[in-house]
Amino acid sequence: MTTTTPATKAAKEIAAWTNALGLDVDKFASRTAALWTNHHSPFSVTPRDVGQLESMSKDFLETHSFVVGAGVIFSADAIENRDGVLEWWIRRGEGIEKLEFDLTPGGERFYDYQNMPFFTSASRTGERSMWGPYVDYLGLDEYILTYTAPIHVGGEFAGVAGCDIRIRKLEEIFMPALRAIPGDAALLNGSNRVVVGNSGAYLVGERIRHIPGDKQLLPVEVEHLGLSLLSGS
Amino acid sequence: MESFLASTTAFQAQVYRALPETERSEAIVNRISKAIALGLLKVGERLPPETALSEMFGVAPSTLREALSDLRDQGIVATRRGRSGGTFVVKQPFTSADVIKKWFQDTSIAEIRDLGDEHAAIAAATVRLACERAEPHEINRLLELARSVVMTDKSELQARADSRFHIELAVLAQSPRLTNAEIRLQAETVQALWAPVSLTRDPEQVAAEHLALARAIANDAPEDAQRLVLEHIRHDVHHLVDAKLSLGYPTYQQERP
Repeated sequence: MTTTTPATKAAKEIAAWTNALGLDVDKFASRTAALWTNHHSPFSVTPRDVGQLESMSKDFLETHSFVVGAGVIFSADAIENRDGVLEWWIRRGEGIEKLEFDLTPGGERFYDYQNMPFFTSASRTGERSMWGPYVDYLGLDEYILTYTAPIHVGGEFAGVAGCDIRIRKLEEIFMPALRAIPGDAALLNGSNRVVVGNSGAYLVGERIRHIPGDKQLLPVEVEHLGLSLLSGS
Repeated sequence: MESFLASTTAFQAQVYRALPETERSEAIVNRISKAIALGLLKVGERLPPETALSEMFGVAPSTLREALSDLRDQGIVATRRGRSGGTFVVKQPFTSADVIKKWFQDTSIAEIRDLGDEHAAIAAATVRLACERAEPHEINRLLELARSVVMTDKSELQARADSRFHIELAVLAQSPRLTNAEIRLQAETVQALWAPVSLTRDPEQVAAEHLALARAIANDAPEDAQRLVLEHIRHDVHHLVDAKLSLGYPTYQQERP
């Protein structure tokens, strides 16, 4: 029954890569949560905590060369301070730099992070989540995918830790697996949106509303993300 | 070098004279303000270090410092000390009523129509892609942004709400290039649309048009969405032309043979 085809092999490879990264994102989230062991919401994020978050984010960026940004986003209800809710770092030259966001509702470039799907989904489900491809207007201002894991403090949801990957980088990462599949194939996200396709037939960002009769959807086994692989049956 | 000097008249030599440091400083202020208005530099972004900047602009460090201090006085940039310090963009430069009036005077009806033509081309493709690519849960934010022009009486906030809605359409189309194009087009026209220097755009009508468009995208009706966005842009163009003409049309002396 479970015969190995190029498509099932590709689905396995993509799942293995994504699961490995997911475990790292989970670890990142629990390392950050450990800063407030024995605390309860609302807790405060001190300048010292921010320093720790910076070095953890730097670690994450250094150990994952394909990641463009990494950091932590707190739920406004979980922390006492009004600023310091969005601690996100990106690569800049040789080093890293904190990404500045406009967090004033109604502000010129207000970044409504609490309504961003990678935040709402982790908050609603308490599980890892992946959002993208999307144009991160007012954030990184690039075409990216964001992978997050929830941070729990005192048993309650306090925010997310995660990372951003440029879509052009994901294309390089997944293409070898996808190219090994004969015929048109594509990796789809949980909303059946193309993340990477192996030909011009399925272009990144497009939504696949109907599965063509000669195609099938194989699950890409990564818990909570709903990824699938579209390929010839 | 000498041959150039020899062939220029005394008056022309004035044109090509070395820029005094104060004009250079002003030029830097203009260059940076314009870049922010066009979205090339974003709020929150850090400018390169002062030494690098004065080298790139080819000016003395003191000239650069004068320009930065001018920008600081206008509240456009702020300088923070320390390890993660530097000079940061903190505010979009405010466009004065005089600047907008001058824009209306300097921009011909043909140019306004042409801006509208470019916007129509970009927007028609954008809304069709948005219909195809937007997910149902993303529509809620679009509907919220569609109404936001009526949530305020301040023309600056109305302008921001209007441009934010149009940029969101391009975000929903999943296209960084269309998003950039829309940001650039908005930077060129949105302040003129809302500034209270002449006739003003009716926020209720704009909100109604935005809402109808957002609903067409929610209903996945690309034909309707395209028709609605083209009508909407035509209304913008009509408004800009009427606003221009209501400021008076300068009469030129007829050239006599």
